[in-house]
Amino acid sequence: MNWLRRLFHGDQLERQLETELSYHVERRIAELISEGVDLQEATRRVRIEFGGEGQVAEACRDARGTRWVEDFLRDCRHGIRMLRRSPGFTIVAILSLALGIGADTAIFSLMDRVMFRMMPVREPQRLVVITRFHPPYGAAHVSYPLFQSFQKELRSFDSLLARNTITGVDIKIDGSIEPVNFDLVSGSYFQLLGLGAAVGRMFDESADRAPGASAYAVISYRYWERRFASNPAVIGKTFKRLNTMFTVIGVTPREFFGTVVGEEPDITVPLTMDAQVRGGDSWLQQPDYNWLTLMGRLKPGRTISQARAETEKVFANIVTADARKDQYDRDRRARLNEYVEVQPGGNGFDDLRRRFGEPLVILMAMVALVLLLACANLANLLLAKSAARQSEIAVRLAIGAGPGRVARQLLTEGLLLAVAGGALGVLLAFVFDEGLVWMLSNGGPRMQLDVAPDGRVLLFAATVSLAACILFSLAPALQTMRQTFQPALSEIRASRWVLGKALIVAQMAISVLLLIGAGLFGRTLLNMYAMDPGFDRRGVLLFSTNAARLGYTPEQFQRMQLRVPEELRAIQGVESAAVSKFPPISGGGWDGAFLVEGKDTAHSEDDVAHINSVGADFFKTFRTPILMGREFDQRDTETSPRVVVVNEAFARHAFADRSAVGKWVAFEGPERSTHYEIVGVVKDVKYESVRGGFPRTVYMMAAQVPPGPDSYTFALRARPGVGPAAIAAALASVDRSLRPANVISLEDHVSRSLLRERLVATLAGFFGVQGLLLSAVGIYGVMAFQVARRRREIGIRIALGANTGTVIGMVLSQTARLTLLGSAIGACCGLVALRGIGEMLYQVGPNDPATFLTAMTGLLAVALAAAYLPGRNAARANPVDTLRTE
Amino acid sequence: MIKPKTDLPQGTLDMLILRVVALEPIHGYGIAARLKQISKDVLQVQQGSLYPALHRLENRKWLAAEWRPSETGREAKYYSLTKAGEKQLALEDDNWQRLTAAVRLVMKSEAAP
Repeated sequence: MNWLRRLFHGDQLERQLETELSYHVERRIAELISEGVDLQEATRRVRIEFGGEGQVAEACRDARGTRWVEDFLRDCRHGIRMLRRSPGFTIVAILSLALGIGADTAIFSLMDRVMFRMMPVREPQRLVVITRFHPPYGAAHVSYPLFQSFQKELRSFDSLLARNTITGVDIKIDGSIEPVNFDLVSGSYFQLLGLGAAVGRMFDESADRAPGASAYAVISYRYWERRFASNPAVIGKTFKRLNTMFTVIGVTPREFFGTVVGEEPDITVPLTMDAQVRGGDSWLQQPDYNWLTLMGRLKPGRTISQARAETEKVFANIVTADARKDQYDRDRRARLNEYVEVQPGGNGFDDLRRRFGEPLVILMAMVALVLLLACANLANLLLAKSAARQSEIAVRLAIGAGPGRVARQLLTEGLLLAVAGGALGVLLAFVFDEGLVWMLSNGGPRMQLDVAPDGRVLLFAATVSLAACILFSLAPALQTMRQTFQPALSEIRASRWVLGKALIVAQMAISVLLLIGAGLFGRTLLNMYAMDPGFDRRGVLLFSTNAARLGYTPEQFQRMQLRVPEELRAIQGVESAAVSKFPPISGGGWDGAFLVEGKDTAHSEDDVAHINSVGADFFKTFRTPILMGREFDQRDTETSPRVVVVNEAFARHAFADRSAVGKWVAFEGPERSTHYEIVGVVKDVKYESVRGGFPRTVYMMAAQVPPGPDSYTFALRARPGVGPAAIAAALASVDRSLRPANVISLEDHVSRSLLRERLVATLAGFFGVQGLLLSAVGIYGVMAFQVARRRREIGIRIALGANTGTVIGMVLSQTARLTLLGSAIGACCGLVALRGIGEMLYQVGPNDPATFLTAMTGLLAVALAAAYLPGRNAARANPVDTLRTE
Repeated sequence: MIKPKTDLPQGTLDMLILRVVALEPIHGYGIAARLKQISKDVLQVQQGSLYPALHRLENRKWLAAEWRPSETGREAKYYSLTKAGEKQLALEDDNWQRLTAAVRLVMKSEAAP
């Protein structure tokens, strides 16, 4: 390409052109001399003939059709010179752009990954996720029998897949034990997704027909690289899980990260091997065990709404049939309330999207505002600079540059800034993204989320940079084009300053909006930390164990777990230890309908309580105050009389102001006739989340609860030195292969549950500060420029007796007027725009007056501080000097 | 100062250059000299038109250029005809023949009483 050559060999082309033309001149002179003309006359004639070598060369350059490249290069060189002449401005401009573009790109990249990115499978747009909803608890998993019914009856799908994750499973491979993450998937999985093996082969639907006998494993590409150094000989390798030898038959493709965003399994095995992987009995035949998530591939020609309609109908029929078998009205009604949703599933099962979709949209909006603010800022600074460069521009116009040409020069300078800012921004985006993933990983292992900016993200960054460039350099460029016939060095026209003022007002409006957002999210987080959840979170360690994966019978399992607190109490420095099914703020729980003494005949729909089973010393460990009676202790065993502890909310609901202690409680169900005596009433504790309410709670004694498949969580209140090592030693004395997992302080446990709030508050705070800084820089720059332009006027004022205070006051009052106008506009926008975020706030309204006022005063203070410096400089100027130079 | 004795019709300079270059690879000065010589001094191309035209034709890939020593010993830029240039020359020649034939016809008919 000619213009490419032009770009890279410009100097060479220039030299060649010169040589070519001078050759002609020499030959012509020689020709004339040979005709008898003397040298001087010959030279003169040739020069006239040629009509100016420069003009010929220029015409040749035009003829080459690479004019625009040359102009562009010249503009770039000139632009770089101009930018280097004011390094302060250039650095501030590039940095503010880079921060804006970087944050924009980082959030977009995360959003792209979490919300829009399709899985690398065949026709992902035809995949749907089928979710069962179980009011009032929201999304629920489904049982294997329900999956089978769907498979048999649904006609809208080519096929369906079901899957479940089991994390932290120990396998024995090459003689060593190591924990891995399993995905259990139906045989249809790989075929439905259209995934071929990177190495080896995948299992298929034949695996579903041989429950317990399909010990095949497909490993992930990452696990293959990490554990087997990408050795193809891994095919045929075996590993042992509990009592079963599994054979590795394939490796998934490199680009496939599993079907759950952010969680990649190491090993994928057939669903029908669930008992062999989990230990204990298979759940395949259990209609009440809901443990699977479903995905389907639409048949060609079927739309998602057809599939939805059909699935809803089929599900309603199944539910109606099941409800007939329910013994109790309440269960029946609850079952009939269930429904299914069919949603696009091309980007996989996505918990992240559900949890972070909304915050990401809000953050994206904030980040866009920050960039807009940076652009307004730059536009204003460039406007000021272009006014300062008026004489340069006037000279260029005078020597024949068209106004378009001058405007193009200004746009090129803008483009240089945008390119530099964009490039730096992309680099920053890498850093920001790592930070975001680190935050999202929430203290656990780094989430398997590949957020490195790719082509799409880079395209986004480039588009944003270009849009920013147009936004901020258009105003000065247009100004120049209008300026064509304006005499050089005249006073700035009023219209320019109106534009400048409008830009400042816009900046202030955006800035106050960002600050209000930051304030609201910040207060939400503080409120959540300050809230009393009914327990003391300091000094407590929580942990779970691998007990469920050791393959015990339910009875052994229960007995072993209940022995753990006894061993923990023996550790030096442990004050108390307890076992519980659900520790506070664990996001889950069981609900049950109850009957109480004196109300047994007419129990209402409302008599539902959260049920937890806990061991002795539970309340002592969590420092939950006991209001009446006692808590569980060594007296309460498997064989002693049945007892429960209830919380305040329960006592108030069931017994009003009468004492609850000594009364009995029973639970709806087959065990209805078993009465449990209430031995204590404790303070309310939050279970689901910090944001949630205090549920009515019944605590059952763990030893008196029938053995089940669920693991317990352990808690110990101990002196600081007690950690995982001491816990591991205590567990080993219960069972050699019992190990602690997820040891975490209760403080961190609560803090992690606030991930969403922390993420939003941190980033919103960051954007708020960024906006504030940008505004301060903007005000400073524009005011400094203003003061410089008004130097003569200020000099006259000082000469006429104005003192320092008056001059500074003049600058400050102008700043204050603009800032107040801007914040008022911003606050009004906030009143409307922030209504949507109310749901994400806690104990603070989206229109909280205190936050609005704080943001507005804060911004005003910063703006005044930024304007003070130029104001003071103006006031200090010696009027005599000033008037002399003007 | 030497003026061209006849104005060149629009667009014919390109054709003439192509025609001259078609004979053998040649530099800019040579082209000017050759044109003058062949046309018996009737056509004198000004450098201000010649060189931009050469660069335009090179840019259109009708001419190729290379640097080689000239008859005076100095390096000069020699132009030669490309395949595309040959085609273009044939096309323009054709057009030119038709145009001149047509013009001649018209001129004759007007000349008749």
